[in-house]
Amino acid sequence: MKRFKLNHSLLTQYVLIVLCALVLLPFSFPLVSVIMYVPQFLSGGGDVRNGTYNDGLKLERMWHEEAGKLQGADEETIEGHLSELKAKYPLASMYRVDADGVLQAALPENPKLPAQWTPTYTVQFMKARSGGDPFTVVALLGDEKDEGFIVFELPRNVMRTSDGGVSNNFGFIFVGGFLLILALFLFLSFMFFYRIRRRLVRLQTAMTGPPAENGSGIPAQVEVLASDEIGRLEQSFNAMIGKLEASRAREAEEEVLRRELIAKLSHDLRTPLTTIRGHAYSLRSESLSERGQESIALIERKTGYLGQMIENLFSYSLLSAGKYPYRPKQVEIVRMTRTFFAGWYPAFEQEGFEIDLNLPEEGFMWVVDSEWLERVLDNYCQNVLRHAKSGRYVGLTVDAAGGGRIVLSDRGEGMGSSTLEKGAGLGLSIASLMLKEMGLRGDVATGPAGTVITISQRVFGTK
Amino acid sequence: MTRVLYIEDDLEIGRWTKEDLEQRGFQVTWLTSGDEAAAHIREADIVILDVMLPGLDGFTVGQRLKREEPQVPILMLSARTSVDDKLQGLQFADDYLTKPFHPEELAARLMVLLRRFGREGGQEIVLGHLRIDPDKPTVTVTGSGEEVLLTAKQLQILLYFLKHPNQIVTKEQIYEAVWGEPFMEGDKTVLVHIRYLREKIELDPSAPTIIETIRGLGYRVKQ
Repeated sequence: MKRFKLNHSLLTQYVLIVLCALVLLPFSFPLVSVIMYVPQFLSGGGDVRNGTYNDGLKLERMWHEEAGKLQGADEETIEGHLSELKAKYPLASMYRVDADGVLQAALPENPKLPAQWTPTYTVQFMKARSGGDPFTVVALLGDEKDEGFIVFELPRNVMRTSDGGVSNNFGFIFVGGFLLILALFLFLSFMFFYRIRRRLVRLQTAMTGPPAENGSGIPAQVEVLASDEIGRLEQSFNAMIGKLEASRAREAEEEVLRRELIAKLSHDLRTPLTTIRGHAYSLRSESLSERGQESIALIERKTGYLGQMIENLFSYSLLSAGKYPYRPKQVEIVRMTRTFFAGWYPAFEQEGFEIDLNLPEEGFMWVVDSEWLERVLDNYCQNVLRHAKSGRYVGLTVDAAGGGRIVLSDRGEGMGSSTLEKGAGLGLSIASLMLKEMGLRGDVATGPAGTVITISQRVFGTK
Repeated sequence: MTRVLYIEDDLEIGRWTKEDLEQRGFQVTWLTSGDEAAAHIREADIVILDVMLPGLDGFTVGQRLKREEPQVPILMLSARTSVDDKLQGLQFADDYLTKPFHPEELAARLMVLLRRFGREGGQEIVLGHLRIDPDKPTVTVTGSGEEVLLTAKQLQILLYFLKHPNQIVTKEQIYEAVWGEPFMEGDKTVLVHIRYLREKIELDPSAPTIIETIRGLGYRVKQ
């Protein structure tokens, strides 16, 4: 069984916080009380003395007991005894009134008290004090209650200071404690989610942030800081990065294999073709009939064509997979076209073509791979030479106007005609794929009177 | 006699090419692998190198040969796709030909390379009514033996044409080869120099027969 660990689950952690809050909130009052009282009980001293005034009933009982002790005593004894009591209860006031209503003693002296207590005053006093402030206990002396009385007075606030100090602030403390615990809960919740958020943001930054130094474009792995849900997410993220890197490596490996395969296939196809071509050439010098010579010429033409097909086939497979090396640069188009066509000129000349060139003096620049553009033009020129012989005309116009264009025209039978050998389409497909990659467009207008191919820059926004 | 070092592992192609080149007057040393090529490089005027070889591949062999003997031109012969091979090969090789090749084209390219590297060995070139000795270099009239005096630049232009026989060369190519600086648009220098050159070497400078103008492209000297 898996051992339960608190730090393995964010859910458990948060449930624990909520549970603590739920349990603590109702107990906030008793808890606060305990917190308030404990230091009081521990510190002792004056608080204990205050405790002597707390209980009214106890004071009353005490006063009546003292009165019982003073039964039949003379005034001097009574006064002495009151003095002792006064020492014991320094906050209380005490009087002695004798049977005749004469105030015999007052501790402390109180000028407000009359020297002679008339029955009327006594009744008024009793009435005023009953349940009022100060707390008053009157105890009659003697068996027959005919020896006068003693009075004990204590201000109510003295009685309250000990227990009332707390009970007066009861509501405030309760609400305060409640709010304190609520605030604590909110703070803990906030911290909890803030931490989660911070870790998620870290992960998100790792995903979208700058890639690892190895230049693969794959984000770097993150450090796993905990083993909870986010920690596991980080682990999964790292695992995914690992898989991605592995698949990149595999892709690169396959790429190398594919290139090697293409190179080998190309080699294996061309080698016998070279032998065939060579021997066909050797046959020429033998004495052959006219039909034999024609056959040799055909063999030579077809081997050349086949070699080109092989090149096109492999180029196309590389190109369509986006693996054909592309190195765009600023290229001066007029100059490039001139140099390029200088290579083709003898071939057209030999076939008796009329060559019509319109190349301007001032050049213009395109950002292209000149190898690619030459390849495209090669394909077009090859088509002209092969399929537009009947027109005996090739025209090349380069024009800087409107971003520049290259126009190649012939007066052949057009591309729709049957003389177009099957497979020539591959060369044209390569041409249009390459043009598209370079941000150029090739417009072909073809008809029985000839073909015009216009290469121009693709206008942004149009496909 | 021009000595060709030919490295080709395919026996059929090798045997046939060797025979063809020998018929054309070359002296051919044929090796089926590049491992011992370095031992023969000093006795060669030109190297024909196949890319796919057993053991060391053609690129490695070629680079090694070029280090040993930079003055011997190397022509790469490849049966692989031309895309990468061409770029990689031309880093050290001086020309590049894809199989299947035409034997005449191979021979023509060999001649061009030999001339470019000046390894033809004291052969005089006959151009119309002129005899040119590229080694000295001098230009003389065939009949009278009278020397045609050319300025340094005119001579350089003429020799550049002779290194690219039957090829159309553009004014930019001429300028950059002879003056050794990038061509500036609209520069008439080449045009002017060609006009003076024609006045000296053509029988009728208004109807030139040696330096041919290909309108819109450049110039050509046929041999």
